[in-house]
Amino acid sequence: MSNLLEIREKLKLLYSRNEFILLPVLKFMLAYLAICMVNGELGYMGKLDNLGLVLIVSLLCSFLPNGCIILFGAVFSLMHLYELSLEVAVAALAIYLIMFLLFFRLGSRDSVILIFTVLLLALKIPYVIPVAVGLLATPLAAVSVACGTVVYYMLTNISDNATIISSMGSDEATAKLRLVIDSVLGNRAMLVMIAAFAITIVVVYLIRRMSIDYSWSIAMVAGVIIDLVVLLVGDLVYDTQLSLGMAVLGSILALLIAKVLEFFRFCVDYSRTEKVQYEDDEYYYYVKAVPKMSMPAASKTVKRINTQRRPVRSVEEDEDEDMNIAPRRVNRSVVTERTGTRDGHARSSQARAGGRSVTISGETESETAGDYEEI
Amino acid sequence: MLNEERVILMTKMASYEEGEGKKSMSLGRYFRGDYISLQLLRAFFSSTIAYLLGLGLYVLYDFENFIADIYKMDLFVFAKNIIIWYAVFVVGYCVVTYAICAYRYARARKSLKLYYHNLKKLDSLYRQ
Repeated sequence: MSNLLEIREKLKLLYSRNEFILLPVLKFMLAYLAICMVNGELGYMGKLDNLGLVLIVSLLCSFLPNGCIILFGAVFSLMHLYELSLEVAVAALAIYLIMFLLFFRLGSRDSVILIFTVLLLALKIPYVIPVAVGLLATPLAAVSVACGTVVYYMLTNISDNATIISSMGSDEATAKLRLVIDSVLGNRAMLVMIAAFAITIVVVYLIRRMSIDYSWSIAMVAGVIIDLVVLLVGDLVYDTQLSLGMAVLGSILALLIAKVLEFFRFCVDYSRTEKVQYEDDEYYYYVKAVPKMSMPAASKTVKRINTQRRPVRSVEEDEDEDMNIAPRRVNRSVVTERTGTRDGHARSSQARAGGRSVTISGETESETAGDYEEI
Repeated sequence: MLNEERVILMTKMASYEEGEGKKSMSLGRYFRGDYISLQLLRAFFSSTIAYLLGLGLYVLYDFENFIADIYKMDLFVFAKNIIIWYAVFVVGYCVVTYAICAYRYARARKSLKLYYHNLKKLDSLYRQ
């Protein structure tokens, strides 16, 4: 465990030191994946399926706010749909606008969640979304998840019916519109999925906020079970063609990912929980303090101690030096490894033993140790 | 000489100003009533546009039958239904907006209060 904690601290340190590079790179990758997904799913306008264009747009998104990834994704999808049919593009635009005006306006902070929802649905691992969102965000993020689900199902449905749409004539404009609207309002699988996700997010959020031991673990297990139950009930009632095996596998994967998130976000040691009680003039306080598990990343400082005693320079050595032959000097180096922990943090067995391990070794030192601290 | 406590406090405050604080400070410039009124006004216009879009899609969904039935239906009742649904929709949306904005405002004020408390603490540290 201490090794894992140390790796976590190193990763955090790495991120905090290189945040100004890592954040744009991550946004670039997210934008690239989102636009590639739209191009792969629809891809009716050949001009948009151009690597150079996708890279330029992704690069733009890496420096712009997160909402721009959604904007570019929507523009790309509308242009593809326009190539397929004008009526379909108009209907999709109306649905996008309704979602933006009513829902996304309130939860625009969660734009990344919407993108991840669409991506994970496309990758067929959607069960991770509600558990992760419930653990990391607020119940309002359910709105973004619902919007992402609607977008995914609408685009998939249009893509599935593309041949029918393209075979329809211009006199069947209302039929095309009906097809798009039905893909949103009449899609029971989508409605069941939205309901299951929303319920799961709320349940996970409520349980993880409770003042009980292992609240995060309980929340994720309860969330996965409720998600499965709602999906199964929805399948029984509305015949949504749910694949039970995939749902179970997806839920196990969701649990694993949730555990990783817990390790990075909420790693506490319940065995050292302290419950204290005190009072002031106005209140009694019942406080439960759970210490976080953390381990400072080991830092090595190498100190070179030059021996003060120098060998007596003999006449022969003086002659050697005169002949430009470097004398062999015996130095002693001390390697100090800091393994100590801060008060109240988890201690490894090594840390308990002393907090600092020192290795002293005698060795023949070359003249390349310019970075070492001289004592 | 560096004062460790002062540096820690300033780092925390700078981090707040860069992240959550930006939004909280923009909210904190308003009185509660002004902020919620502005949001409700926006919600009114947003919901009106969304309702009109939805109505347009509803009409276009079954446009042939709608045109065929338009002379048979009671237009007064039809308009009354549209207006009633519009009122229900807009009022419902505004109630939800009110609840969310009131919660957000309360949370932002709370975090700003803590921020101002830290500012005072920093000031007192400089006076020492």
